[in-house]
Amino acid sequence: MILSGWEAVFFWVFSIAAIFAGLLTVMARNTIHSALFLISSLVSVAALFILLGAEFLAGVQILVYVGGVMVLFLFVIMLVNVGEEERGSEEIFNRPRQVATSVIFCALLVGGLIYAINVGYEGLQKRDAGTISKTGAERKSGEQQLATSATGTSKITKGTEWVGNGLYRFGSLPFEVASVLLLVAIIGSVMLARTLKQEAAVDDVSPDVLQQEAIDDPELAKIQAAE
Amino acid sequence: MPLFLLKLFTPAYFLLFQEATDGRMALVLDKAKNPDLSKFLIIGALLFIIGVAGVLTRRNIIVIFMSIELILNAANLNFIAMSRYLQETGNMNAVAGQIFAVFVIVVAAAEAAIGLGIVIALYRNKETILVDEIDILKW
Repeated sequence: MILSGWEAVFFWVFSIAAIFAGLLTVMARNTIHSALFLISSLVSVAALFILLGAEFLAGVQILVYVGGVMVLFLFVIMLVNVGEEERGSEEIFNRPRQVATSVIFCALLVGGLIYAINVGYEGLQKRDAGTISKTGAERKSGEQQLATSATGTSKITKGTEWVGNGLYRFGSLPFEVASVLLLVAIIGSVMLARTLKQEAAVDDVSPDVLQQEAIDDPELAKIQAAE
Repeated sequence: MPLFLLKLFTPAYFLLFQEATDGRMALVLDKAKNPDLSKFLIIGALLFIIGVAGVLTRRNIIVIFMSIELILNAANLNFIAMSRYLQETGNMNAVAGQIFAVFVIVVAAAEAAIGLGIVIALYRNKETILVDEIDILKW
């Protein structure tokens, strides 16, 4: 898998964009800015997915992450009060000593990972160079037979078809389990985010009792007053 | 020891300290012009580290969640790069990498929903979303 020409240019553009947007996500003072930088990082990674021939995953990434998860994040940011942080009266990072330790740890991790990737990739190449060159010609002829797209400049690949096949043939049980997981997540988050009043309504507590409890418990009264 | 540390960043080491610098330079430039699997893995590793740094250093729990999303995304990038590489060796089961990435995205979405529900409940009770002020379990 060696990119060349425009693919290489796009690779560098999007990977540098992804890394810088990721860094700014972590460093931005305003939480909304963080969320927007995270969106641009995710979109850049989706572009990298397209370069890797995973068009379906790129679409899913944009629909689910940018369309769903990030909108959820933005709503929650608007529901909670982060004013002190934004105005600069509140420190956004942990204590300096903790930050220094984490940064040193991360620098060591970067060094170790890059070293491991360089060494490991050489070994991988040594092992697979024969097979890749052998199947290369086969793959080229296979690509020639693919249908041409409407613009006539590119071929319609079969990657998405393979993903669908694999997902429903070999991954159908995990697929169903994942749908149950999502259902549990929906119910769980609704349960967690209820207000006190909604909880009382579900538990069949009459408003009078709640009022009585509020007299005994000043915390509860404060919450009720806030609502 | 410093030499060992430099060797960790192999491209910089080659550029600065190896003999026959022009040959090395051409090699590095050629590799930059034709990025391969290892470049994708390095980008994935960097995104992962940025996420880890965010989790370790930030105080705002929402930004910590966003950093976790970055980490999961880096894992996805690695899955898909490896899947593509294995497809080129003629391994037709390599699409499993993409299927795995789909499940990672599903789990990330569920985690975000639950986590943000907890954040809202927490904010309602404690009036803060800074992790070092949430210390009820500490005594």
